[in-house]
Amino acid sequence: MIRLENVSKSFTNGKPVVSNVSFEVNTGETMVLLGTSGSGKTTTLRMINRLTDSSSGNIYVNGTPVTTQQPETLRRGIGYVLQDNGLFPHYTVAENIAIIPELLQWDKKRIIDRTAILMEKLHLPVSEYLHAYPQQLSGGQQQRVGLARALAADPPVLLMDEPFGALDPVTRASVRKEFRSLDEVHSKTVIIVTHDVQEAFELGTYICLMDKGIVQQIGTPAELLFAPANDFVHSFFHEQRLLLELKALKLADIRPWLTGTDQLKNGVIESNLTPEFKIAVPLNGGNSCWEALEQTTAGEMTIVQFDNGIAELNTNALMDAVKQYKQTRVHGRTTELH
Amino acid sequence: MEEQQSFIEFVQQQSGKLLEQTLQHIGLTFISLLLAVLIGVPLGILITRRKKLAGTVLGVAGVLQTIPSIALLGFMIPLLGIGAQPAIVALFLYALLPIIRNTYTGIQQVNPTVTDAAIGMGMSKQQLLFKVQLPLAMPVLLAGIRTATVINVGVATLAAYIAAGGLGEFIFGGIALNNTNMILAGAVPAALLAIIFDWILSRMQRLNLRKVKKSLYIFPFLLLILSSFYLLPTVYGTQLVAGFTPEFMGRKDGNLGLKKIYGLKIRTVVISDMIMYKAAYEKKLDVISGSSTDGRVKAYDLIVLKDDKHIFPPYYAAPIVRQETLDKYPELTSVLNKLSGIINDSIMTELNYRVDYLKQDPAVVAKDFLVASHLWQPEKHGTKGSIRIGAKIFGDGYILANMYKMLVNGYTDIEAITKTGLGGTKICFEALTNGQIDLYPEYTGTGLLVLLQAGQPVVDSLIGDNQKVYDYVAGEFTRRFNIRWLAPIGFNNTYALMMRRQQAVTLNITSISDLTKYLVHH
Repeated sequence: MIRLENVSKSFTNGKPVVSNVSFEVNTGETMVLLGTSGSGKTTTLRMINRLTDSSSGNIYVNGTPVTTQQPETLRRGIGYVLQDNGLFPHYTVAENIAIIPELLQWDKKRIIDRTAILMEKLHLPVSEYLHAYPQQLSGGQQQRVGLARALAADPPVLLMDEPFGALDPVTRASVRKEFRSLDEVHSKTVIIVTHDVQEAFELGTYICLMDKGIVQQIGTPAELLFAPANDFVHSFFHEQRLLLELKALKLADIRPWLTGTDQLKNGVIESNLTPEFKIAVPLNGGNSCWEALEQTTAGEMTIVQFDNGIAELNTNALMDAVKQYKQTRVHGRTTELH
Repeated sequence: MEEQQSFIEFVQQQSGKLLEQTLQHIGLTFISLLLAVLIGVPLGILITRRKKLAGTVLGVAGVLQTIPSIALLGFMIPLLGIGAQPAIVALFLYALLPIIRNTYTGIQQVNPTVTDAAIGMGMSKQQLLFKVQLPLAMPVLLAGIRTATVINVGVATLAAYIAAGGLGEFIFGGIALNNTNMILAGAVPAALLAIIFDWILSRMQRLNLRKVKKSLYIFPFLLLILSSFYLLPTVYGTQLVAGFTPEFMGRKDGNLGLKKIYGLKIRTVVISDMIMYKAAYEKKLDVISGSSTDGRVKAYDLIVLKDDKHIFPPYYAAPIVRQETLDKYPELTSVLNKLSGIINDSIMTELNYRVDYLKQDPAVVAKDFLVASHLWQPEKHGTKGSIRIGAKIFGDGYILANMYKMLVNGYTDIEAITKTGLGGTKICFEALTNGQIDLYPEYTGTGLLVLLQAGQPVVDSLIGDNQKVYDYVAGEFTRRFNIRWLAPIGFNNTYALMMRRQQAVTLNITSISDLTKYLVHH
């Protein structure tokens, strides 16, 4: 759990970098700090593990103020991932992963076991890469080692500064996907800094959009899209708006506007199918509208399985429901500006 | 003449000395290097943390680096005297810049993301330094040590000038004696040392430092062991210490003669003649190989020990003149001979003292002397013709040339022009034979050994007797070069052993034999 209370940071010349930031991230949640460069998002992150000291305000990690702890002790309990991975070039993969466990003086056997488990989870074959040096790995592999290193001592908190920023788009997507599917991450408090809107939408439970050191809005991706707190937030997502909307909206969100769902019941699917339709993977309420659209536009039979019923979708019905959802949202509640 | 020795023979013959000098050289290089590493690396680390200091520290070290090495050694003498200490300090100062700078640069160029990651993971400053910064800076740091080592091997040759030993003794002795074998015996090992150390360090740079971490600890020990080489040769010694110039060390009419004819056994260091007299005065040395009429003999109250077995050849000064000039102006002979017999060793020393030590103008000193000797006459401004008087670059020559000019101008209608500062013997003599000058003061010993290159049997038969040398030289010059030796002036500017007057009196030493006897019993 991480909590920031009215945290500010000014340069020595008095110019504010971060003003009055407050938010709370609970265990199992991911907060994405989103903004353009110079927005203060990285500074905010670095104040949490005290690589930068705050000028005012309070920061709590797992309920303890960070200033009451030795910086070294604090940092050893926080996983830290950097954009350019920051692997030690003179250490092998195994040695890099073992850095924090070594600092915490784990015994050898435990370190070796832990390293092997992590490498396996991150798809780095132990036999091939254990004694390799970082420069012998591809960018994606290096970043995975960086991830393994941050997770090595199983810290309750993970701070990630543009973790996938240095990777090419294809590798980035695959490493990101791997990261999302890591079971270890689901039980941690995660804060990710990024300027990539797509990444923020994909990874964030909440997004904290910052500009010029000031928080513009904090909320779920859908809240930022459909109930922007101000013009900045609204215009920030101007590009790719439709894509983002479709990604942010869950099928459960548009359920009320999906017609004809009630009469379909479990077990009816099979009988209703005409042979010329291919059967796609059944979707559920947790899937995004984007995923549904991918199926409908591919000409596949799209079936959504809700908790209390099943709907058959086509592109028109889907887009229509989205449109109606948006019309109601404009008049709905908005997230308060912090 | 002796048969030309080959390089190999020379090395074999001098192997003991060569080993000693090589060990001294390695010792000097590595003591100073060790100090420079001990001080330079922490200093380099400090300035990565206190950036404001970086400019100052690197600036000062940079300025030290730009001081010419011989000048830096010169600065050390007033502070630390002569011998190993000033040499080590000077070498240490030279090694400092590359080591500080490369430590600083090495740590600075560590990828900031890597340091950031290290700090972010909870490493302390110490852990950051020893686990990340130093290992990653090591290749650059070693490159700095490598540069410093090579510089030190080179500069350490100059240590021979201030009695600190090393391979410079052979190099500078060889240059002074024009002995190629001796130069090479110093230069080849010095070059080899530089190449070998450079190679070893380049290998170390390329090693994977993580894998050979333990062997890295050997490095300081290796430095210590190499440093201690310097101490080995100095364990033997006598109560008195002699400082001889590199040239004197290798000459038959120098140290070799002292050993052979007198059986002199004395602890000897090699030193530049520029600082030798002062070092004797400051009691850093007890016996030196000076030049008998040097002004500093008087300045530092030294006395010349009597050469009772006549190993030093006579170097009596006399004007040598082109026969053509004398034929044209017969009156010159009597005028030039006016100085004959009136300047003895102590007068010449006194005159040199005024020029070299008191920095008076040679022309003024010459005039004062002529006036005092009632030889001076006002210039006649004659128009009969002109002659050119040359001189070598050292004191004697300037003063004598000025005196001859005044005499010629005062007593004849010939106009005399001085062309002083003609460098060494070779240049002066060639100027004379080519007619670019008409006369210059020369020494009988030089005429015999350098200009005539007389064979050993001839030299042996003449050397003890000044008159015989003069007669032989005068005869040969007339015959071979058509150049006349006029009457000797009277002083003998030869090699001499000298001591502080006080000490010589206390120990009751007046001749070289006395010194030899004293050393045998003490």
